[in-house]
Amino acid sequence: MEEDPSNPKAISDKTLDPVTQKKQAAMLERLSNLHQSRIQQSNSRKSDSNSSFPFESTKSYLDRFSEAKQSIQNELDRCRLVSDPESKAFLKSDLEKVSISIAELEKLVAANSYFLPSYELRSSLKTVSELKETQENLTSELLPKKKFAFKNKAAKKDQSNVVEETGIRASDSGLAERKSFQSRDSPGFRNQEGAVLVKHFGNSEEGGDFTLSDLKSCEIRVMGSLRALFIHRLCNCRVFVGPVLGSVLIEEVEGCLFMLASHQIRIHHARETDFYLRVRSRPIIEDSKAVRVAPYLLYYEGIEKDLRDSSLDEETGNWANVDDFRWLRAMQSPNWSILPETERIHTVKISNMEA
Amino acid sequence: MGLLSIIRKIKKKEKEMRILMVGLDNSGKTTIVLRINGEDTSVISPTLGFNIKTIIYNKYMLNIWDVGGQRTIRSYWRNYFEQTDGLVWVVDSSDVRRLDDCKMELDNLLKEERLSGASLLILANKQDIQGALTPAEIAKVLNLDAMDKTRHWNIVGCSAYTGEGLLEGFDWLVQDIASRIYVLD
Repeated sequence: MEEDPSNPKAISDKTLDPVTQKKQAAMLERLSNLHQSRIQQSNSRKSDSNSSFPFESTKSYLDRFSEAKQSIQNELDRCRLVSDPESKAFLKSDLEKVSISIAELEKLVAANSYFLPSYELRSSLKTVSELKETQENLTSELLPKKKFAFKNKAAKKDQSNVVEETGIRASDSGLAERKSFQSRDSPGFRNQEGAVLVKHFGNSEEGGDFTLSDLKSCEIRVMGSLRALFIHRLCNCRVFVGPVLGSVLIEEVEGCLFMLASHQIRIHHARETDFYLRVRSRPIIEDSKAVRVAPYLLYYEGIEKDLRDSSLDEETGNWANVDDFRWLRAMQSPNWSILPETERIHTVKISNMEA
Repeated sequence: MGLLSIIRKIKKKEKEMRILMVGLDNSGKTTIVLRINGEDTSVISPTLGFNIKTIIYNKYMLNIWDVGGQRTIRSYWRNYFEQTDGLVWVVDSSDVRRLDDCKMELDNLLKEERLSGASLLILANKQDIQGALTPAEIAKVLNLDAMDKTRHWNIVGCSAYTGEGLLEGFDWLVQDIASRIYVLD
């Protein structure tokens, strides 16, 4: 810098007295030494990390993680298949080793947790806890506790039995209570097979909540407005329902066709089922597979008014905005799809008449 | 609630309360929060994750954490336990079939040490639906009388649809927390 003639400061430097010049040179040297040593330090740090432990790289972390996970799983599988008595003797120590490897894996996750994307972190933690569970189950399965262990605790056990019994009694009374509530069943169709089930909520009769449960190969038509709809354990059914002002909750359905209009729709444990929906918010699925969606296509006399009264007369297009709680990624979930137009049924007209 | 955190709160100028809303999916948690905040409740999607609302209620500032109730995300509830002053457990009173589920999840929650000092408000929601169980019936099924004697709790019937009962419930909750934490005022 001081040799640059265009720099006026450099020129003026030359006019300084010799003592100052010396001081300045010493200072510059110190600075450049400091700089050098810093560069060296950072270089050595870099090479360190290259050789032993690649920090802050999600990819290398994931590689290490999946490698460790695989070896733990292999070891667990091997333990499970052990049959000859000789290797059975080693089973205990083998399983303990696995437990240590799992603990190491957990440490790896912890050490890297500060830079991992939250999804990777969550899934890693989940994997670790699953491995732990497998290991524990396997241990209790393959190495059952010896009998004398119980004898030692006999006195204690008596006490805990008493507690358990009272606990059971308490929950029994709860159960009885619940049964009595179920006996004053909410309206609905239950436990039928191969039937056509029709319900019409007229003007005078306000539909509260309605339940469809344990139905097999039935056709269900519900006309008029409802407040809430619960659907549980349906197989091979066709279900046509008028507007629901509140929410629809669906659990365990298979091979069905549903036509529903509602403010909220939650679908759990559905398999190979088509949903024709009109919904004000985003419908959700959880633990489901081969779910297909299409727009609502129902007609019965007076449906326009019922839809209007439930603020469901407008098509929001939300039938296609399905959220899959088992697929929290940006990519399309493999568990649901849009029903191709060529495979959709036409507008369905329903009436009180049995088909 | 440790002594230290109580002292910290007393010192604070603005009187904050942290409220955690949980319950099974479809019980109406988000609708309740939006309703007491006077917002539109006609389009509410099932909660994927959580919502936070800050509401000035009487002279207190409520931070309400509304956490999704789908089975998949229930395991994340515990991430929100820390520093909770009030716990709101919301029940769909018309969903008789899942009351066992509801009881089990509530029992698990109450075992949690970090929530041991929190006041518990149980909202028996959807009372407007005909055929819904009454708060007394819900209390029986959930076996609330058997709860730990040190717990401050209350059950209130409500309807997020009509708004009925919500203020009564939150009035109790806020008063109860205030009497524990801001007792020196």
